[in-house]
Amino acid sequence: MDFLHRHRWLTPYLLLGPGLAWLAVFFVVPLFYLGYTSLQAGDILTGYTFKWAWENYSDAFTLYRPHFLRSLQYAGVATAIAFLISYPLSYWIAFRAGRWKNLFLLLVIAPFFVTYLIRTIAWKTILADQGPVVDFLRTVQLVSDDGRLLATTTAVVAGITYNYLPFMALPLYVSLEQIDHRLIEAAQDLYASRVQAFFRVTFPLSLPGVFAGTLLTFIPAAGDFINAELLGTPRQQMIGNVIQSKFKEIADYPQAAALSFVLMATILVAIVVYTRVIGTERATAG
Amino acid sequence: MTHSITRRELLRRAAVGGAAVSLPSILAACGGEGIEGQTGAQPGTTSVTKELADELVFANWPFYIDVSDDEKTRPSLDQFTAETGVKVRYLEEVNDNEEWFGKYQAQLAQGDDIGRDIVVLTDWMAARMIRLGYVQKKDKSAIPNEENLVANLTSPGWDPQREFSLPWQSGITGIAYNEKRTGGPVTTIEQLLTDPKLKGRVTMLTEMPDTMGITMAATGGDPEKVTADAFDTAIDMIQQAVDSGQIRRFTGNDYVEDMLQENVWAGLAWSGDVVASIQPENPDIKFTVVDTGSHIWTDNMLIPLGGDVFTASTYMNYVYDPAVQAQIEAWVNYICPVEGTQEEIAKIDESLAENELIFPTDEMRSKTFIFDAEAADDPDYKEQFQAVIGA
Amino acid sequence: MTAAASTIRARARPGPGSRVWAGVRRYALTVFAGLAFAYLLVPIGVVVLFSFNDPAGRRNLTWQGFTLDNWMNPFAYPGLREAVELSLKIAALSTIFATVFGTLIALALVRYRFRGRSATSLLIFLPMATPEIVMGSSLLTLFLNYSFPLGFTTILIAHILFNISYVVITVRARLIGFDRHLEEAAMDLFANPWTTFFRVTLPLIAPGVIAAGLLGFALSVDDFVITYLVSGSETTFPLFVWGAARVAVPPQINVIGSAIFLVALALMLANVLWQRRRSLKGA
Repeated sequence: MDFLHRHRWLTPYLLLGPGLAWLAVFFVVPLFYLGYTSLQAGDILTGYTFKWAWENYSDAFTLYRPHFLRSLQYAGVATAIAFLISYPLSYWIAFRAGRWKNLFLLLVIAPFFVTYLIRTIAWKTILADQGPVVDFLRTVQLVSDDGRLLATTTAVVAGITYNYLPFMALPLYVSLEQIDHRLIEAAQDLYASRVQAFFRVTFPLSLPGVFAGTLLTFIPAAGDFINAELLGTPRQQMIGNVIQSKFKEIADYPQAAALSFVLMATILVAIVVYTRVIGTERATAG
Repeated sequence: MTHSITRRELLRRAAVGGAAVSLPSILAACGGEGIEGQTGAQPGTTSVTKELADELVFANWPFYIDVSDDEKTRPSLDQFTAETGVKVRYLEEVNDNEEWFGKYQAQLAQGDDIGRDIVVLTDWMAARMIRLGYVQKKDKSAIPNEENLVANLTSPGWDPQREFSLPWQSGITGIAYNEKRTGGPVTTIEQLLTDPKLKGRVTMLTEMPDTMGITMAATGGDPEKVTADAFDTAIDMIQQAVDSGQIRRFTGNDYVEDMLQENVWAGLAWSGDVVASIQPENPDIKFTVVDTGSHIWTDNMLIPLGGDVFTASTYMNYVYDPAVQAQIEAWVNYICPVEGTQEEIAKIDESLAENELIFPTDEMRSKTFIFDAEAADDPDYKEQFQAVIGA
Repeated sequence: MTAAASTIRARARPGPGSRVWAGVRRYALTVFAGLAFAYLLVPIGVVVLFSFNDPAGRRNLTWQGFTLDNWMNPFAYPGLREAVELSLKIAALSTIFATVFGTLIALALVRYRFRGRSATSLLIFLPMATPEIVMGSSLLTLFLNYSFPLGFTTILIAHILFNISYVVITVRARLIGFDRHLEEAAMDLFANPWTTFFRVTLPLIAPGVIAAGLLGFALSVDDFVITYLVSGSETTFPLFVWGAARVAVPPQINVIGSAIFLVALALMLANVLWQRRRSLKGA
């Protein structure tokens, strides 16, 4: 104890010690190994050795470009749809749900309490070709008679949207809920139009939630492979499908590592760009 | 063989050594040398204790052993436990050879015990496991019933003396189709891959020998002796069917579910699945051997590194008793590798003994091929195939 | 969504019809929220419903009839019990480790100014900005390069790892809104930082720590992607579901899924109520 008293500056480092060591050893160091493995060559039967095998990266950009583009596209569309669903929903909970707010909030995150895979399989049941949903859509001619929902791009994007929607709704709710109602009332007096008030005051004030929500949705969506696997066809395979199959099925570790690395880099770049854009918007909005 | 591995290992350590130096000591202490390939224990060094273990861990494919009518117990396994006192932990964990291999490869390469005493894998994968030294020799002295093995399976090229392996079941890969939905039989690969009526309602298998073998046979190639040209022709055809949206998915056992849900109307299928799992629930689904050539394959019991050889061998002996085999066969409905089963199964159910998919006729056998084991394991072919099936 | 947007726009010109529009708008937004809730909850309903299904074979595909059998014998399906037990064990252990590590980090971040603070924050943030598949595959390459046997230990390592950041964030949020003077007073009283910590600080941040623990437990029980990559021959519950999804999903899986759902919901409700009680007492 005396020692600690004399060296007070040590305390924060002692507190950080175990947790940060864990993160360093099992998060930072593995990223180094991911890079290291991505430059190995060989095959599973003879083992992989390090030899600056940059071709793993050129393959990542040529052979697997469609998968990357598809992942970004699906994740982007799913994020947009999740936003369009979540914003009015969160708005409703924050401003209209009254004292039942917490209960409704709980309903929003309820899907999280059902195992990810199980809820995705449930969609498979719901969207089945001969199931009631598709039957109904056929009757009202929203789906052609020989059409289907399961094993289509629509199903995959819908699945991704569903699975990550709470990630969008939660931060949106938090930021909307914190807005001082008097500010909105004042704005309505000022602008005389609710729409203007909304776009000049409410929406800008909720931007931190929009920012957090889109990131929290987009990032995991871009790396997802479960929805494409269970609800898609070979034509909907995303980069996550390729990575998992290379790791788990054909044991092409270097290629898988290179793809992972590129995915990570792409997402980091996307975050930086996005932060810049939103950052300036926020500045001008204020 | 030992020499070359040692040398390769040395080179690998040398190449990687530099990079490992800078890492935290906690990691360095574990010692690392790149990702290992083949360094399983050398085959043939098995020492056998003639004592039964308490438990046998058996990794098999789904729906591949008899279950009781209430689906809660597996009679032939219970009977084995009653006879020997060995409890069986039965795992339905093999859905795809490559996937199973990928799951355990890292451990097997290190010579680790993967906690399985028996695993059932298809010919070419069994060949690979043996070649890599990932399996142990059987204790033949504990398997007198091996004499019941059917003659045409006693000496495969990859295990001529059957020192390591013993067939579990054989099967035929052909086409299954839902007659009510398709409006008529689907008998050719061409129809499967191009008929607009079937667009988006077709599955093929993730097992390359099944899908590529049958397609090659249908496009004039020889799946028993694969050439690059024949492979390309076949893969182009499949690629087109993927691009056009004709093929809905490539699957393992899960095609059964898609067919029963009628999401899928036609596709490649394994004979026993159709007889045992599909037709009882939906008799409209038919199975046909492909005229241009259907794939006949055999799944083999193997003892992975770390498995208990004597216990596993005792179990192998048990299932090679025709009466036990008949009991399993009456449920799984594949092609049985044990001589004398047809007579035994007739006692259970006459119709099974006459079922051509369980006891194929010579005419049927003449339409089948065995896939080129070397090609099945060729990394180039595998990569091309993986690219087409979307991964 | 478009409905809501257009009604908002329609409200732009206040005129004689504005009262009607106000009604439509209010109504539209509520209807929209209702539909959104249906979208969120229908799959859960399907999962729970099919846990009562009485399928003919092992495939739980279409509704056949009502039964309680699956709930009476949730582990009738071989291998399921072991998988659930493993998941619970991993979740419990990883939660304990991650909660301790994460709480300490949160304390350091909120209470102290020190060199490397922003780097620490970045290190906490990065794992959450990393897609699971990248985190899992980088861990896997680490283990592969050191020939470290995959199994219980590697799953546990991974689960502690991805839980730490969430714990830090949750506990930090609680710590920020907390009165330091209480602690200073306690320090004067007890003159011992340990006693202060256990008698003052910990009880005050307890709700945050418990919430973090619950979150960690839930994340661990649900994790598939990272576990799938580093699991070796072990099978957790989500991995079991994955295996089953490729063959036949028995109704028992829906039973376990529904049970997890109900327990989590109950715990969340309890936490909400408890927090409300505390805050009422505090006020």
